[in-house]
Amino acid sequence: MASLLKTESLSKSFGALAAVAGVSLSIEEGSLHSIIGPNGAGKTTLFNLLTGTFPPTSGEIFLGNQRITGTPAHQVAHLGLARSYQRTTVFPAFSLLDNVWTAAFATRRDWKGLLFKKSSSYDDVQERARQALGDVGLAEKQNHLAREISHGEQRQLELAIALAAAPRVLLLDEPAAGLSPEETRRMVELVRSLKGRYTIVLIEHKMDIIMRVSDRISVMHFGRLIAEGTPAEIQANADVRRAYLGGMAA
Amino acid sequence: MRKEIVLLLISVVLLPFIVRPAIATEIWIFAMFGLGLNLLLGYTGLLSFGQATFFGSAAYVAGWLLKHYGINVLFALAVGTGVGALSAALVGYLCVQRSGLYFIMLTFALNQFFYFTAYQWTSVTGGEDGMPGIPRPSLLGLDFSKPIVYYAFVSAIFLLSLWAMKRIVEAPLGKILQAIRENEVRAAAVGYDVPRFKLAAFVIGGAFSGAAGVLYAMLFGIVPLEAIGFVFSGNVVFATLIGGSGSLYGPIIGSVVFIWLSESMSTIWARWPMLLGIAFVIVVLFLRGGVVEAWHRFSRLRA
Ligand SMILES: Nc1ncnc2c1ncn2[C@@H]1O[C@H](COP(=O)(O)OP(=O)(O)OP(=O)(O)O)[C@@H](O)[C@H]1O
Ligand SMILES: [Mg+2]
Repeated sequence: MASLLKTESLSKSFGALAAVAGVSLSIEEGSLHSIIGPNGAGKTTLFNLLTGTFPPTSGEIFLGNQRITGTPAHQVAHLGLARSYQRTTVFPAFSLLDNVWTAAFATRRDWKGLLFKKSSSYDDVQERARQALGDVGLAEKQNHLAREISHGEQRQLELAIALAAAPRVLLLDEPAAGLSPEETRRMVELVRSLKGRYTIVLIEHKMDIIMRVSDRISVMHFGRLIAEGTPAEIQANADVRRAYLGGMAA
Repeated sequence: MRKEIVLLLISVVLLPFIVRPAIATEIWIFAMFGLGLNLLLGYTGLLSFGQATFFGSAAYVAGWLLKHYGINVLFALAVGTGVGALSAALVGYLCVQRSGLYFIMLTFALNQFFYFTAYQWTSVTGGEDGMPGIPRPSLLGLDFSKPIVYYAFVSAIFLLSLWAMKRIVEAPLGKILQAIRENEVRAAAVGYDVPRFKLAAFVIGGAFSGAAGVLYAMLFGIVPLEAIGFVFSGNVVFATLIGGSGSLYGPIIGSVVFIWLSESMSTIWARWPMLLGIAFVIVVLFLRGGVVEAWHRFSRLRA
């Protein structure tokens, strides 16, 4: 299998803090690749680099054969990279349908009628938006406002916005953050159902989830990659146990 | 939506019988000015404190051409729309990269820059005395020197711009601007070049405000220096917030309230701006959606 997303010695420093330090990562097309690591390990910063939120201090990013280092966020979205956020980042006063509509329209092949055509008359966008809401199980609530639904539903919406872009790569930053055990179970099922349809990079804290869904796992610690392998290999890795699993997985 | 349109058409017909035609005309002109501002304020969530820059620049340029070359009224409107858009492109270009207080201060500072340019450039603008002698040339046999005829013309232009603005905010552009207002980070992440869309809001809003400036110059036959000053910029923000920045019709209602109050009260009671102050405090504290929200709450209560 070919690698779809690749980084070479990717680094980002905030002043004296090396949040991401020399990360070389290769994500296979169609796989679910997880990134784990303790708080502050640099996982979210890595996503911010991949999606062009800010440019890296050094290193390179490739999508397929294309070098995308330094490409700004709004252009990255058009290349087929979509992300969800650890802290819910939606459009609060919009209906759920408008939330996903906005994402679906952005990646449409053209923006004809941008100024004068009625938003509701883009059948293809409408269809893709409904599909994305349906995929996360929010179809019935499409007319509710995003700020009025529960935290759990907002986490589902967070994912739907990423899906609505019809991306090649899905970057999910702790989709189960703050969810109850029951909600977490459903979120895991949801992520599992997306497996195979997208190339997925998943940041997650909860070890049981990671071990169940991942094809491969990379472990970050103080900005560095300290291990990579299959779930079984990671569980057996002594460094990982010492750095991370020892305290967490018990 | 239907109900609002019918109500508006009735108001347009009745207004010149309730207040003097000149004041009625000023109300719709000020409403157009507010429509332009509200694309930035209400839809994009950008508090522009310099909208008079576009209103005033357009009034001066079109006014000057009317005065010296007696250009066609429609051409004057087109020029004003263009000048409004162009000056907004310039101001917008400098402002869209900033946010929060810096953004507001910069729109204000640039407004001051335009104001002092007009103040100093007396040979063209007349400085403090304003630019008098702006004609209202007839169009297709319509004699605009008759107040009621000019009122009808302004009403038609106003309704046309309202229709255009309605189309814009109901099109994807309107949704994208609101998405930027709701969450800039996410809007960029899903694929929108946020600064460019903000600039588009400036340019389109500036075009509407510019057209209003030309109608204003022809209404009073003069471009007063205040037309490009910060008090005007403040007034339109004020009126829009009172009317309700969250709605397409907010600036229109705000204009009716603001102009009507200022015209009717200023002769009776010198301290009338206090009333506006009180209205403003009420809006800020209890009624974020202005008169429009008050109306919605009232209708729900009745239902
Ligand atoms: N914009 C920023 N400016 C300054 N420091 C930052 C910035 N973003 C992240 N950091 C710092 O970089 C380090 C890595 O943060 P990051 O959010 O990437 O960690 P994380 O692995 O996602 O942690 P968590 O599991 O808690 O989400 C932290 O020390 C954090 O404080
Ligand atoms: Mg994080």
